[in-house]
Amino acid sequence: MPNVIIDPNDVMIELKHLRKVFGKQVVLQDINLDIRRGETMVVIGQSGGGKSVILKHMIGLLQPTGGEVSIDGITISTPDFFDTRTIRKRMGMVFQMGALFDSMSTGENIAFALREHNPNLSEEQIQNIVTEKLELINLKPEFRSKMPSELSGGMRKRVALARAIALNPEVILYDEPTTGLDPITSDVINDLILDMQRKLHVTSVVVTHDMASAFKVADRIAMLYGGHIIQTGTVDEIKNSTNPYVQQFITGQRELPTGLEDGD
Amino acid sequence: MTVLLTPFKYIARLIAEGIMAVGEIAWLLIQIIKRVPLVRKNPELTIRQMVNIGVSSIPLLFITSLFTGAVAAVQSEYQFRGLIPDKFIGTAVAKMVLIELGPILTALVLAGRVGSALAAEIGSMREKEELAAYEVLNLDPLRYLAMPRFLTFLIMVPCLTIMSSFLAIIGGWIVCLVGLDITTYTYFTGVQYLFENMDLFSGLIKSVVFGIIIFSLGYYHGLNAGAGAKGVGQATMKTVVSACVSLLVFDLFIALLMFS
Ligand SMILES: Nc1ncnc2c1ncn2[C@@H]1O[C@H](COP(=O)(O)OP(=O)(O)O)[C@@H](O)[C@H]1O
Ligand SMILES: [Mg+2]
Repeated sequence: MPNVIIDPNDVMIELKHLRKVFGKQVVLQDINLDIRRGETMVVIGQSGGGKSVILKHMIGLLQPTGGEVSIDGITISTPDFFDTRTIRKRMGMVFQMGALFDSMSTGENIAFALREHNPNLSEEQIQNIVTEKLELINLKPEFRSKMPSELSGGMRKRVALARAIALNPEVILYDEPTTGLDPITSDVINDLILDMQRKLHVTSVVVTHDMASAFKVADRIAMLYGGHIIQTGTVDEIKNSTNPYVQQFITGQRELPTGLEDGD
Repeated sequence: MTVLLTPFKYIARLIAEGIMAVGEIAWLLIQIIKRVPLVRKNPELTIRQMVNIGVSSIPLLFITSLFTGAVAAVQSEYQFRGLIPDKFIGTAVAKMVLIELGPILTALVLAGRVGSALAAEIGSMREKEELAAYEVLNLDPLRYLAMPRFLTFLIMVPCLTIMSSFLAIIGGWIVCLVGLDITTYTYFTGVQYLFENMDLFSGLIKSVVFGIIIFSLGYYHGLNAGAGAKGVGQATMKTVVSACVSLLVFDLFIALLMFS
């Protein structure tokens, strides 16, 4: 369990009445979610439910059809306003498949943005930062010369995390960090997510349908269903939820459990 | 009524889509050209692309050019046999190759080889969220991905065209020696005869335009590729088809402008 002090009134990311429509497909109906500074919020929900779409709104890769996204009290996007450049400097993202730059080595993947955004850093300083970031994800400095094609799925995710923290973000967004990994590698990733929270004091948002991972890393969990957040709560509150859709999801059943009140 | 209207609607939609695409491509090119001065900050990105394109297309161009020149020589000899002196074979080959065959065949081969590869590369980068990763790191994809590739096509297509034209003339020479009983001296006298700088120049101008066409269509279709392997496959197919049509249309257009 996380040992970080979180102030419930100190909101880092705020989604207000977020709505997203692609063509005729309504993906997000009305999303309201507050993420507190320093906490790890896990968003769970079915594949294709719009979890990645939520993350992409937080980091300004998508503009809302309705509602508003604010980061640390600053509105970054509404349907008529979209300013994400400054806010992105404070955020890092770990993509679902890693999204490493395939033509660059591991070290270059981590160093590239660093070098481009800090022209006054010497090459030695850059390489020191790369070493430091590799250490944070428990990889040896020699790892920098490996190409992405030589890495396993778990390693790609770790390098993607190293790249995301290269610019010292205050917020890290993880898109399905353990999907496609074996349980042991998944747990290595879970530990890294907890490490980042403790060592770097970052605010984290993790999107996943892996309940083991969700229960391990979360301070709070939000469940996405039918374009709404149907419940938000601590790990225990979610485990003991009486909402049939939440119960169905966390216990992995094909049909709605009976005997519970319908929490719609 | 509806039966009659459907094909019209279909054609109208195709034209509308085409106009939209042209608009988007024009906007894209303007954005890319604005970023060209930044090339001196990361020249290695452009150099790497140039090497890639050279390596992947030179072997194929080598073969297609030699054979094109050889066929041009054989056909000229056959058509002119007994009508004009043998030295005009060299003249015919050189004129055809420099003005027309070199630029257009090189461009068609490159559209198939590297234009489609560009669409596949950008399409799969989009699919694997590599493009989004650039954005999230506040790295401008137009600067780090598009501009180096644009410059590469702009410079490499004319260079490869020159190489290709040269090889085609060599191909004509080889077939003259081996199969047509025409001497080296006769052939190359013909090549030089009536040679005009304008021929070489017009071929180069064309190949610059062709380079821009291949790049634009490859990049555009890559960006707009649908999801999955199927989307990427379709993007490469669309690139080759649209590039072949546009190249031939522009070829005629430029020919009319320059020679009439
Ligand atoms: N850029 C986009 N354009 C059109 N549709 C999209 C786009 N991104 C996501 N979608 C659609 O939104 C829905 C939710 O997607 P996503 O957020 O990826 O789900 P998941 O919860 O699995 O992450 C899917 O049906 C997907 O097809
Ligand atoms: Mg997703």
